[in-house]
Amino acid sequence: MNTKKNSAKSELKLFITILQKDIKSEIRQFNDIFSIILFGIISIFIFSSSYNTINLGVRMPIEIFVIQIWMIIFFTLIFIMIKLFVQEKEKGTLYGLTSAPVSNGVLLISKVIFCFILLSFIELILILFSFFISIPSIQALNFNGFFNYIMIGIVLPTLDLSICGTLVSALSMYSKNKSFVLPLLLFPIILPITSPIISLNIKLLEGEIISIVVIEILFLIAHAILMFSILIFVSEELLSE
Amino acid sequence: MNNSNAIFLECDKVSKQYGFFFALNKISFHLDENSILGVIGANGAGKTTLIRILSGLTSPTSGSIVIKGKNYKTDSKSIKQNIGIITNKSFLYEELTIYENLKFYSKLYSIYDKNTFKEKVEHYLEKFNLSDWIFEPISNLSTGMKQKVEIIRILIHNPSILLLDEPFSGLDFNTIKLLIKILTELREKENLTIIIATHKIEVVQEISDALLILKRGKISKFALKNEIDKSMIESYF
Repeated sequence: MNTKKNSAKSELKLFITILQKDIKSEIRQFNDIFSIILFGIISIFIFSSSYNTINLGVRMPIEIFVIQIWMIIFFTLIFIMIKLFVQEKEKGTLYGLTSAPVSNGVLLISKVIFCFILLSFIELILILFSFFISIPSIQALNFNGFFNYIMIGIVLPTLDLSICGTLVSALSMYSKNKSFVLPLLLFPIILPITSPIISLNIKLLEGEIISIVVIEILFLIAHAILMFSILIFVSEELLSE
Repeated sequence: MNNSNAIFLECDKVSKQYGFFFALNKISFHLDENSILGVIGANGAGKTTLIRILSGLTSPTSGSIVIKGKNYKTDSKSIKQNIGIITNKSFLYEELTIYENLKFYSKLYSIYDKNTFKEKVEHYLEKFNLSDWIFEPISNLSTGMKQKVEIIRILIHNPSILLLDEPFSGLDFNTIKLLIKILTELREKENLTIIIATHKIEVVQEISDALLILKRGKISKFALKNEIDKSMIESYF
């Protein structure tokens, strides 16, 4: 029992060490994150401007607002995926991790959480920015509704996307044509969840209660569990040549 | 190698196959504790594959490796704890400083001690004339300096075996001399077993206790120090 406890503690320490290193590295190369944020902001700006030009004075419907945001987030994920395994493999630092006494599970989970943190940070800026630029017609959203929207409409899909992103990044790191393979592998994996994510977001922004969106939530959780199981199941194959 | 020392590493019929190509073909040898083995061979002979398999970076298609009585199949974590590896690609994070990189790797090997770590790092940095660069990002260092930090990186977690793949590439004459001196010292003082894969025959000749010559994935010759001479080596290429 004690051995198990100690082992879990040391695994947790390793997980924190890898995560800290990834975050520190990322902060030192802030230009990359800045470019991704700039891409998102420009996309929102162009999308909103073109909508406003056609529909003068009409506030953006929630449906269009949600589709706009998630379309940009999906593209953002591709940029972040490069930072997970692809970049580490190209620089050679991945071998520093795989030659160390660290279990593949710890390595993969730390990458999932790193992807989640990075994606959440970018989403936060993009969503705030799009609320001001796109001015969606949200009327019936109180504090509870907004909290539900953040936790269920944003955090849950982001976690699911982070798992998918880590899986695809690990799968494609040995490919010679990574820039081609990354989106090609990612889209079939995330396509099943695009519709539930959008539907979930629309309903929550319309002020619906959680019981109305249970199906979407369950679908997202099931998808996340499935992807995470695949990730752990193939981890041995993914991280050894 | 056969002398009074205990067998430290045993490689038994290790093969690595990529499709129909054998990068290594039934390699068998054993190595004693506290010895230096030079691995040489032409390009594509299988030197890097052998180092990668011994370090656990690549799994062999068949065969077994036993290090300090432990088998990779069952004890890979504890074997990895005892291994320090340098490959032709740097394991250092360019954006982080020397200190941060070393701290990260010592934590990764679960040997980080807040009280003694800085002292340990300073000792090694002084030895390699890098004391002034401790808080400098790796990206600001020259190739030779980076290679020195790589060596400190593998020493920081007190391994019992060093696996070095082309450790002298990109280094000037003086740094190579320094590295040879340090490796010899390490073997003597810290009881390390070292395997060096390189093209630099004269260096290997100078420091190795035994030599493994690979040719197209097979052992062409396994020679002890007294049997090694340059003409003999060249005849096996």
